[in-house]
Amino acid sequence: MARARGTDGSLLGSLPWTLAACVFSVAPHVQFLPVWISTAFLFCGAWRYLIERRRRPLPSTWLRILLALACFLGVLSTYSTISGVGPGSALLTIMAALKLLETRARRDQFVLLFIAIFLVMSSLLREQYLWSLPYLLAAVFLIMTAWLRVSAVATQPTRRSFATGGRLVLYAAPLAIAMWILFPRIATPFWAVPMDTGTATSGLSDSMSPGDISSLSLSNAVAFRATFEDNIPEQRDRYWRGLVLTIFNGRTWTSNDPFAGPRVHEQVAPIGDPVAYQITLEPTRQQWVFALDMPWSWTLPRTFMGPQQQLARARPIDQRISYDAMSYLNYRTDVDLTDYARSWYARVPEQSNTRTQALAREMRASAASDAAYIQAVLSKFHEEEYFYTLGPPPLGSNPVDRFLFDTRRGFCEHYASAFAILMRAAGIPARVVLGYQGGEMNPVGGHMIVRQSDAHAWNEVWLDGIGWYRVDPTAAVAPDRIESGVSGSLLDGAGLAWGLSASAAFLHRLTMTWDAMNAKWNEWVLGYGPENQKRFMEWIGMDDPGWRKMMLTLIAVVAALLVMISGLLALRYRSPKTDRAAILYKRFVNKAGIELRTGETPVVFARRAASESPFPAELIDEITSTYLNARYGPADPIAMRRLESAVAAVHRQ
Amino acid sequence: MQRRSTLETLPIGKDATRAALDKARETLGTIILGKDGQIALALACLLARGHLLIEDLPGLGKTMLAQALARVLGLSFRRIQFTSDLLPADIVGVSVFRQETGQFEFQPGPVFSQLILADEVNRATPKAQSALLEAMEEYQVSVDGNTRLLPDPFFVVATQNPADQIGTFPLPESQLDRFLMRLELGYPNEENERELIIGEDRRAMLEDVESVATPEALQALQKSAANVHMSDPLVDYVQALVRQTRESPDIDIGLSPRGALALVAAAKAHAFVEHHSGVYPDDIQAVFAATAGHRLKPAGNTTYRSAAELCQHVLDSVAIP
Repeated sequence: MARARGTDGSLLGSLPWTLAACVFSVAPHVQFLPVWISTAFLFCGAWRYLIERRRRPLPSTWLRILLALACFLGVLSTYSTISGVGPGSALLTIMAALKLLETRARRDQFVLLFIAIFLVMSSLLREQYLWSLPYLLAAVFLIMTAWLRVSAVATQPTRRSFATGGRLVLYAAPLAIAMWILFPRIATPFWAVPMDTGTATSGLSDSMSPGDISSLSLSNAVAFRATFEDNIPEQRDRYWRGLVLTIFNGRTWTSNDPFAGPRVHEQVAPIGDPVAYQITLEPTRQQWVFALDMPWSWTLPRTFMGPQQQLARARPIDQRISYDAMSYLNYRTDVDLTDYARSWYARVPEQSNTRTQALAREMRASAASDAAYIQAVLSKFHEEEYFYTLGPPPLGSNPVDRFLFDTRRGFCEHYASAFAILMRAAGIPARVVLGYQGGEMNPVGGHMIVRQSDAHAWNEVWLDGIGWYRVDPTAAVAPDRIESGVSGSLLDGAGLAWGLSASAAFLHRLTMTWDAMNAKWNEWVLGYGPENQKRFMEWIGMDDPGWRKMMLTLIAVVAALLVMISGLLALRYRSPKTDRAAILYKRFVNKAGIELRTGETPVVFARRAASESPFPAELIDEITSTYLNARYGPADPIAMRRLESAVAAVHRQ
Repeated sequence: MQRRSTLETLPIGKDATRAALDKARETLGTIILGKDGQIALALACLLARGHLLIEDLPGLGKTMLAQALARVLGLSFRRIQFTSDLLPADIVGVSVFRQETGQFEFQPGPVFSQLILADEVNRATPKAQSALLEAMEEYQVSVDGNTRLLPDPFFVVATQNPADQIGTFPLPESQLDRFLMRLELGYPNEENERELIIGEDRRAMLEDVESVATPEALQALQKSAANVHMSDPLVDYVQALVRQTRESPDIDIGLSPRGALALVAAAKAHAFVEHHSGVYPDDIQAVFAATAGHRLKPAGNTTYRSAAELCQHVLDSVAIP
């Protein structure tokens, strides 16, 4: 093509900065983006740089339109939608990549830097960890510096650009903090961040199929953190109740609707003293709310206790929530089951796991009572060759049979499932409770960390005169699991919960400190909602903080900050006072039609103007001398008046 | 011509001394031809209570300028020829034992004059150089534990031959800083040189020159020069220039705050010599090369061959506010 001229290489200085800013802002998205988008971005960046290096022409308009269409269709086919965080950030990345291909001038680089800022901000829609903040600040700092590099004269030393960029971020910081603190928080925001439902967080699932999975305990992620008011219950008493599974189809345990049936709260009769604590629950995208067995009261709106004494929210928990709760570790559930309920809780599919059912009937027959039978089953687990392992062999279609008679290896799910079937087959109502067991104290933050690896399954059986009674068959097999936590119960537990098993105490302390920092971050920064804001406002002395009051305070504070910052800036960049004389002289220079050179004094300019401008030399001399007097001499109204009339004479000419 | 009329109508007080300055400048112009800018600078240097370093080849009128300055301004003048065997005592003087009184008597050296020409200052050893430089800085000398004040005004004109390399001790940067200005005289143009050749003998002319000022008048002039108005935009300009010397990639070491002060003092004196109502940008530009040139350390890779070119480059890259 004849019109395709090469680039002139003028962007060679600023392009690397723009590229660096873009790469920095795309980086947090990379783990979520399809590989082809990241690759396309890197490819376009390298391509554009080489174009500038080699002075090649930019790709033609048609090629760019084709690429844009192709990428758009690619995003559409990858996500099958273009709304949401995922497709949105994918489109932004593509936009940055393609914009690079038509970056000709400084203006285009500004557009790119705008896109970079958008990208950085949109990464917050995905994750808001403690380290997100420093990364964000660094990214904004880099973008600002790139901005300066693109806009400023090329001779500015890099150090100065960085310094100015840093200063800009610093100037903005107080404003951002003030807005963050004071902007009225609303309990349920009108806007909802469209979450990607595809990215599942690890956690308990709604059902349990022993033999299908064996990897649950390996996740070291935090499930929730708990802070106890005063005394902390023993490790073996810390059963964090979650959901209750009641239906078994021969292979999988599922729960029925937790809201069916009567309200059962009053059926719990507490014994002894309650334990009070606060829980900060990570988002689970499920409705289950965890509390120590047995929860008595909780400060979470729209959360109810189901018929199996499990707590559930009306909506899935897709944000980190925090609530106070109180539990009784000792209790009785005075439930008088109807005959129908009794048979319902003892239901086992007849054709499945027949060996287990036969064994159950046989053992029940030889036991004196239900309680004796339970003891017999637990002794069987304890005394016979059963092993606790996180890597059990897969089980076939009759998993309980396979497990009890053949493999004899499993973790809590296997034992809980087998135990429940043994009970049910003997006619004793039984159910499986999923939750967490134990938790680790963080000495730095003073709170308890309960990890996904603490997930646990245990049983509840119904006994006449006692009600639902907790039995943990895993404790019979591996008492260590209950006494000292999951990592203690595994001989081959190296690498599990690396912070715990690492021999260096220092590393442990580091993990704990980091965890404590995260907890505080979650509580005070991410959890800065209406309640925290109200508390904070009252703490700084605002009585009855309402959104109107806060909005007014916000406006006042922001205005004050703006005045302060502008004052600082004005002090720093005191512009030379362009007084009347300077304005008049400028008018004369413009009228003369000759450009004033940098560093050219009025006297030198007058000499040039005398020969090159249409004005008479006397007039130019008059203007020059009066200007020098008026501007650089002591205040002299006469000189100013003379200058004004002389410049007016110029305009008349 | 207007100036003369001022002299005639107002022969007393401040304006009289002011007129004396103009007269001095005019007289100097008749002796040293075609060097009006340098004469104005030399006078400005004197009025700003600074010392002057003239760096040029021999025979260009360095000595003549110094002598003429002393003569015109009515200052006592001594010349010290710096040689490699010059001793500090040759400059400041010695104490001599008098048999008749039985006491030591101080014989003041040539430094006890109002205007000193230190000729070829780079020929002497650093020890001798520093004796003079100390006097320049402190306005006093210490001999045998006694501190003796130098006369006021005290003005040193040092010359240096830049072509001489062998057997010289070039002044280090820290000592160059003692000189308010460094001047180059340069060759006269053809017309002036012709006049020089066919005209009267300059030395004889010097004999006839009348003093137009007294030391007291000179002190008054110095005071007035320091009080010249300096407007805010001009302060901004000085700061911008200084900043540019520090940030320019062509300069390794820029102007120090002392250098900035020197620039301001020199510019004020220059504005005074030029009858400006305040310091004008032209004054700054006029004194910039002379005051900043020897205080800057050019970068190794700079393309500017001389300090003057470098200074001009700085001036050309800073906008005048």
